[in-house]
Amino acid sequence: MEKTEIILNHDGSFVERLVSERPLNVGQSVLDTLTENVCRQVRNVFSIPNWGAVHASVGLHDVLWCIALDKIPLHARFKLINQVMVPMFASGTDIEMPLIWKVPANVKVVFGVLTKESDGFASVEGNWLFACDSDRRGFRLPLPNLHDDCRICTGQFEGDQETALECVKASLDQFSVSKWNSDLMRTIEQSQKFFRFLPTKDTFETLPIQGEWTSLCNKVSTALFERVVV
Amino acid sequence: MKTITVKYGVDEFTKQVDADFTFGDLQDSDSFKAALGFGDKTKALVDGIEQNRDTVIPAGSTVRIETAANTKA
Repeated sequence: MEKTEIILNHDGSFVERLVSERPLNVGQSVLDTLTENVCRQVRNVFSIPNWGAVHASVGLHDVLWCIALDKIPLHARFKLINQVMVPMFASGTDIEMPLIWKVPANVKVVFGVLTKESDGFASVEGNWLFACDSDRRGFRLPLPNLHDDCRICTGQFEGDQETALECVKASLDQFSVSKWNSDLMRTIEQSQKFFRFLPTKDTFETLPIQGEWTSLCNKVSTALFERVVV
Repeated sequence: MKTITVKYGVDEFTKQVDADFTFGDLQDSDSFKAALGFGDKTKALVDGIEQNRDTVIPAGSTVRIETAANTKA
């Protein structure tokens, strides 16, 4: 289809403009390009026993799976200081125990699994552990084995699976059983104010964080954190 | 002088800076660090594109600071 426009310029001259239009069969590729960095959030995609609901941030090339944690398995070395059990990540001699730290109500902790699909298989591209405040600010917990961008140094595990669900399960299994050591550790004082346990007759109770929790963490802002579904 | 807006996560801070203020100056600036809470390992982006530290920030720009990934210790 062609149409003609006559344009009157500011200087009084006339210009003829010919406009031709034809349908282009490139809709999907244009849409893909325009939405390359747009992610769609899908809540409650599936649920994993003992962990809860899994939400997804679906991108064009990958999916970030998010699980809000109510506990962090802390398989590490601990020491009793002033009747309070605190982690000693760098120690080689203190007692090693698989304690479970219960996440307080004012802290949101999100475990993230980034997966990609190729050739009919899903693969884990990485695991992340983010903390958020009520205003959705991101923080890096005072834990070792966490990079500055909150990516977890997981150690080796089978990250290639048949489905994304299996990828998330494998990541959580690795997160649950792997030990925390002193790799990437900063100051132990912040960890010991954050992760505190009271020995009782039968178990170890999680004690409140000593002080304002955000002051013990590093503030974090990354493109991946922006995708987190809480 | 020029005005720039810097975002870090959900927080943002607008400030007047020198005309030759660069992205590297911003990443090293104690006042921006204190106001927004970012650390030493960062990258500066404009419209999602990472900027060179030596580049002068255009007046009126909105710069997003992101935490940079580090390598295994």
